[in-house]
Amino acid sequence: MPTVALEECSKRFGERIALRRVSLAAASGEAVALMGANGSGKSTLLRVVAGLVRPSAGACRVDGVPSTGLNRAGRGQIGYLSHRSLAYRGLTAAENLRLVARLHRRPASVVESALVEVGLEDRSADRIETFSRGMLQRLALARLVLAEPTLLLLDEPATGLDAEGVALLERLLTRWRGSATVLVATHDEQFADRHGDRTVRLARGEVVT
Amino acid sequence: MIADAFVLARKDLLLEFRRREVVLGMIQYVVSTLVIVHFAILGADGSERAAAGMLWAAILFTAILSLNRCFAADQEEGALETLQLAPVDRAAIWLGKVLAQMAYLIAMELVALPAFWLFFFGDEGPAPLPVIAAVLLADLGLATVGVLVAALTQGARAGDVLLPVLFLPISIPLVIGAVTATLESFPDGDGTLRALGFLGLFDTLFALLAWGTFEHLTGE
Repeated sequence: MPTVALEECSKRFGERIALRRVSLAAASGEAVALMGANGSGKSTLLRVVAGLVRPSAGACRVDGVPSTGLNRAGRGQIGYLSHRSLAYRGLTAAENLRLVARLHRRPASVVESALVEVGLEDRSADRIETFSRGMLQRLALARLVLAEPTLLLLDEPATGLDAEGVALLERLLTRWRGSATVLVATHDEQFADRHGDRTVRLARGEVVT
Repeated sequence: MIADAFVLARKDLLLEFRRREVVLGMIQYVVSTLVIVHFAILGADGSERAAAGMLWAAILFTAILSLNRCFAADQEEGALETLQLAPVDRAAIWLGKVLAQMAYLIAMELVALPAFWLFFFGDEGPAPLPVIAAVLLADLGLATVGVLVAALTQGARAGDVLLPVLFLPISIPLVIGAVTATLESFPDGDGTLRALGFLGLFDTLFALLAWGTFEHLTGE
């Protein structure tokens, strides 16, 4: 399971500073909950760790390697859940997952089991442009289930989920606990307590506790 | 990597087959251009040569239609990030897009080339085989350069304006080579080997450039 280390990491988008000299470390297998108001920098921090955003200053390393310079294997160990589904609207749920399975060198059989696991088996042949927000979030969870990542970056993972969906998310997080390093951004204090080994709070791009 | 590229190209072609956002528009554009020019230069001296130049101008501008949509589906729900985080060579993303763009161009040309011959030539037009070779080599070059530029401009403010601004100047040598190959394919031409060689060289250079730089263009 990878380690994560941000050292004096800053990110600026034009005039706006999204992260200010953030230092944060997550040990192998540790679950860190990120809390903070909207715009506090949680999403940017996760995107920096995923290597999708390059820090303006400082460094972010995954297993000692700069996150923007991860090799194929390094990238493949990351499971990233965003505000968007990160799927193709014109493809069906099954086609989207087959594509992910193919790129992650996973057998096609895992697609069916992942769809069953997230409760989308009856909608597997439907294009996801017809899906509700909650269904898209379930599909995103299925993507993580089949890719079996060891570094989970979850940005408000309960967004859009109904009660049954939240229960599914809680089950998955409990299962992943200990088998993956987890950074999860949330507004829910109780959720953070249940699924984080510790909580880091951000405000205006800075770590405050 | 090649296998991953084919998987990604297949995905793009499936999306296009379902949505029909690109190829039908390309065909309509290129045929409309051929019809207009046909009536404008009908019977004029040197109209065949003008037609050859016009064909390539039409192909070039039609390519922009598809390149502007090159990453549209990948951006709708952020799916490009799924590809960026997948354990595949990022050049596979570029190659997959090149294959898909080539398929769109060839689909458009399957209509455009017969129309080109029908509107402008009887039996005395350019030799078909060298023209087809030039078309395929030019398609590869347009797709190679175009996907690179589309990756650079995707997500940028006014990216659909920026794309032709960057793409057209880089593509001009390619189109000049293609026009030359077409003109040299006429019965009084000097042969197309040099022009085809130039197209092949252009394709090779830009393929190598794209291969080496695409990794850095798909990030932030």
